[in-house]
Amino acid sequence: MNIQLTLATRYLLGRKLRTFLTTLAIIFGVLLIFGMNTVLPTMIAALQANVQGAEGSVDFTITSAAGGSFEPAAAEQLRQLDGVRAVAASLQRTVNLPADFVDGDSSRPDTLNAIKLIGITPEIARSIRAYPLVEGRYLNDSDNASAVISQTLADACSVKVGDTLRLPSAAGMTELTIVGLLPGRLAAGNEDVFVPLAQAQKMTGETGKVNLIELNVQAFADESRRAEIQAAIEASLGENFRIGALMAGDELFATLELGQVGLSIFGVLALFMGGFIIFNTFRTVVSERRRDIGMLRALGATRGVILGMILAEGLIQGLLGSGIGLFLGYWMAVGVIRIAQGPMSSFINLQLGWPVISPGLVFVSVLAGMGVTVLAGLIPAFSASRVTPLEALRPSASETSIKRQTGYGFIAGVGLAMLSLAAIFSRQAALIIPGGLLFLVSLVLVSPALVRPFANIFGRLTAPIFARQGIGGLAQNNLSRQPTRVAVTASASMLGLAVIVAAGGLVSSMTGMLGGMLKDSLGSDYLLVPPSIGVWSSNVGATPALAESLRGLDGVEAVSTFRYAASKTNGLAVSLIGIEPGDFERVSGLVFSEGNRSSYAELTEARTLIVNGSFLIATKTRVGDTVELLTPTGRIPYRIVAAATDLLNAKLTTAYLSQANLQADFGVTEDVFLQLDLRDSADQQAIGAKVRALAAAYPQFKAISGAEYYASLMGMLEAAFLGIYLLFALLALPSLIAMLNTLAINVIERTREIGMLRALGSTRSQIRALVLAEALLLAAIGTVFGILGGLYLGYALVTAIEVIFPMGYYFPMSGILAALVTGLLFGALAAIIPARQAAAMNVVEALRYE
Amino acid sequence: MSLITTSKLTKIYGSGATAVTALDHVSISIQPGEFVAVMGPSGCGKSTLLHLIGGLDKASQGSVSVDGHNLNDLDDDSLTKLRRRKMGFVFQFYNLIPVLTALENAALPVTLDGSQPAEAQKKAAEWLSRFGLGGRLSHRPDQLSGGQQQRVAIARALVAEPQLILADEPTGNLDTKSSDEIAGLLRQVSKELGRAVIMVTHDPRIAAYADRIIFLKDGKVVEETILEKNSQNH
Repeated sequence: MNIQLTLATRYLLGRKLRTFLTTLAIIFGVLLIFGMNTVLPTMIAALQANVQGAEGSVDFTITSAAGGSFEPAAAEQLRQLDGVRAVAASLQRTVNLPADFVDGDSSRPDTLNAIKLIGITPEIARSIRAYPLVEGRYLNDSDNASAVISQTLADACSVKVGDTLRLPSAAGMTELTIVGLLPGRLAAGNEDVFVPLAQAQKMTGETGKVNLIELNVQAFADESRRAEIQAAIEASLGENFRIGALMAGDELFATLELGQVGLSIFGVLALFMGGFIIFNTFRTVVSERRRDIGMLRALGATRGVILGMILAEGLIQGLLGSGIGLFLGYWMAVGVIRIAQGPMSSFINLQLGWPVISPGLVFVSVLAGMGVTVLAGLIPAFSASRVTPLEALRPSASETSIKRQTGYGFIAGVGLAMLSLAAIFSRQAALIIPGGLLFLVSLVLVSPALVRPFANIFGRLTAPIFARQGIGGLAQNNLSRQPTRVAVTASASMLGLAVIVAAGGLVSSMTGMLGGMLKDSLGSDYLLVPPSIGVWSSNVGATPALAESLRGLDGVEAVSTFRYAASKTNGLAVSLIGIEPGDFERVSGLVFSEGNRSSYAELTEARTLIVNGSFLIATKTRVGDTVELLTPTGRIPYRIVAAATDLLNAKLTTAYLSQANLQADFGVTEDVFLQLDLRDSADQQAIGAKVRALAAAYPQFKAISGAEYYASLMGMLEAAFLGIYLLFALLALPSLIAMLNTLAINVIERTREIGMLRALGSTRSQIRALVLAEALLLAAIGTVFGILGGLYLGYALVTAIEVIFPMGYYFPMSGILAALVTGLLFGALAAIIPARQAAAMNVVEALRYE
Repeated sequence: MSLITTSKLTKIYGSGATAVTALDHVSISIQPGEFVAVMGPSGCGKSTLLHLIGGLDKASQGSVSVDGHNLNDLDDDSLTKLRRRKMGFVFQFYNLIPVLTALENAALPVTLDGSQPAEAQKKAAEWLSRFGLGGRLSHRPDQLSGGQQQRVAIARALVAEPQLILADEPTGNLDTKSSDEIAGLLRQVSKELGRAVIMVTHDPRIAAYADRIIFLKDGKVVEETILEKNSQNH
């Protein structure tokens, strides 16, 4: 093996714990970047397989560009086109099944979470695809509540031809008579339930509508002929339609993508910290090994050899970290996919396979991991290569240039700090986040110059404690004497603590905001909740009849509902939520960032929207602008009157409009989410029972009291926050341990000095106190920097999120306390072992120590 | 021709009022195979002289020529290569690389010069065996005694077959018995292998192993003594 590699591996192996700790941060960063970017493509691949499986032998699939249903007239229009052999319109909806719907057994996991309801015109549908029955008969024009299902579905539900299949529908529980069985499905996807079109329209509340056209061209049409036909279809239908299958998961993927971006940013942050930790470690390593390096130089190692040796260490660590990170990232992706499998199969009936690994992503992840390590090692490696051979003989030869470097660093640091402050005042998320990182860098740069004043201040604070031992001043002087090394140690702990404080700021701000929001938007007494919240398109709702009968209950004050339609503006998918402004304001409410409650009234006056923060950002619009929404019949302009959000729709690009407008322009009358307010005088228990009884006919909804729902959601949020906190803590851990490490090295390096103190008559307890005082001083300096950095970072994070989410910055008192305690605890902890060692040292040996 | 010639070699540390002249116009020459001891009180410039001859430090004035190369004319890389091929160093604190074995440490100069590790280690093993360390080849420095470590360091200094060995207080950290062993070894290197050895020491008993002693005081050569040896003794 090459001598540089031999030395690099030996040194790394010689300090296994340190190697592991510094590598940990790289592992963590690569793990997040690789793992998270593997999950989404896997889901998309599964979705594509699903869609292809469903399309089968169809030449063209046509849907509304807005994503909703439309008049079947469009199909007639296509039938006239030259070269078209067959056209069939259908109405297809994924129907989520409530838990234990099929087997009624809560102890067994559900194998069936959703089915696909397909309303067809029997004879026409047959012109597009074959229905090879294994039993019974096909649908005919006189059928009403009849269905053809697959053998596998029949087996799952334990039914046969002639039996009844019960399904939730918008009109309440519907019973279908099974007339025929198709062979078991081969391709992945939903279990299909074929019913006559009119029956499907009844069950989904989409009277007279279809949402999918399938089209086959004449046989023997070649590619160019097909292209001609496609052009003719597009010309005939115009921009309200698109060629391509229904994508039930659009909204979900938007959400997933957001999460993916968030975690990728987290991964980049982890890598940044990893780089910093490695930079710090290498600085320590180089100063520790000055003598070895000098010796190598004296023996004839050129500067290049030394540079190569340090860089090789970085390279090995980067390779190791990236490798382990890739491995763990893959298994994290497997884990996430396993966890996601449940919700995915119930929401959009996706079967997810093994993670899809893209070679490009592997390359980028490894490049990021190795790149960060090598970059971080570059400056220490260069400074190592400048070590002169003479330093092997006189290790303390090179203290001259430090003062000048400190000066430059201080000026550069102040400059960067100014820049990062300017970033915060700009209130641009794109500037604030990098500003936060800049701020940390600036703290690192200015810290050597601040060590002396800080040490003096804290020295004065700790002096009384250690006064009896007469060593308080000594500890402080020790620190002031070596500002660079102290700064390295302090900045290592600083990063870890900054992260804790920042996480505290973020979490306390989020809890404050979300708690308030929950109360505001879900403060109703009773709720009917669909299986999938926030991904409204896959829910089968209820016709207005349900809300009406709830209103009719004695003791019910008001009922507010959400209706959902998909739309597009400027090509961007948006979710439309239809509300009845009066009822909604009474029962629930939005959190406004622009405008106020009076904006509700405006919704009923004209075509107006209240939009959320994501909408404003995604569409680059402002309150007062007019946007064109794509409807089944064309584009219709809507004016934005306010910006506000509720909890359930906060993460999606959402606009709220009146249910009257939603019905007029999108033809939607289906309620997907219902909230009730009871009269104060009402007997809660009795009404609760009545509400549950009414809802029983609509098993797609879960009836739950507001208090219960609040508690369960809050529990979920708290668990999520705990997760976030843990994630941050994980990020902080390596740097805290790095601080422990540097502190310990500090003591070891001063062995001779300690021996001298003992020789001069210091008692063992005085030595212990000295080391402890020094460690605490160091920790205090790191903690103060950490808190400063953390406050900025936390504020930056909140400001960045605030652009989407209206949330105030809550001062993270708990985070600061946590940082103080952690900082001092680690400081004391880091001192214990070295302090004992130092105190137990044999005086003569210590004096001889080199 | 002399192997080493220094001409008015001067080294001044610091500048202005705080300037310290460590070496003051020293002109000496050393022949191939000669064993020279440099003695003098602390701060007299003996280590500085050694560092300048070894090209570890730059002279303020004057010049050093090693085997016909004027060190002032060489850049860092050429100087490094010259050290690698023509000189071997032995230090008071051995300065072995702690993570490498005795064998790897001894092989370093040849390995650094680009030899195959196997070949380099074969040479190193020969030297270590010759110094009685054949059974300690795979020991790390912390598993060896001071005397053993210093013998590894001498093997390391010799492995590239340099013409010159520079030893800076090589016995400064050893007990009497080990010191005698090491000094004897250095004499052997000079007499049997024909290498020039320059050894800095403050121990007259150790200096007595040399052919010639140069006394320095305040940076100047104040005395030179040629020792007549009874080869039975040393």
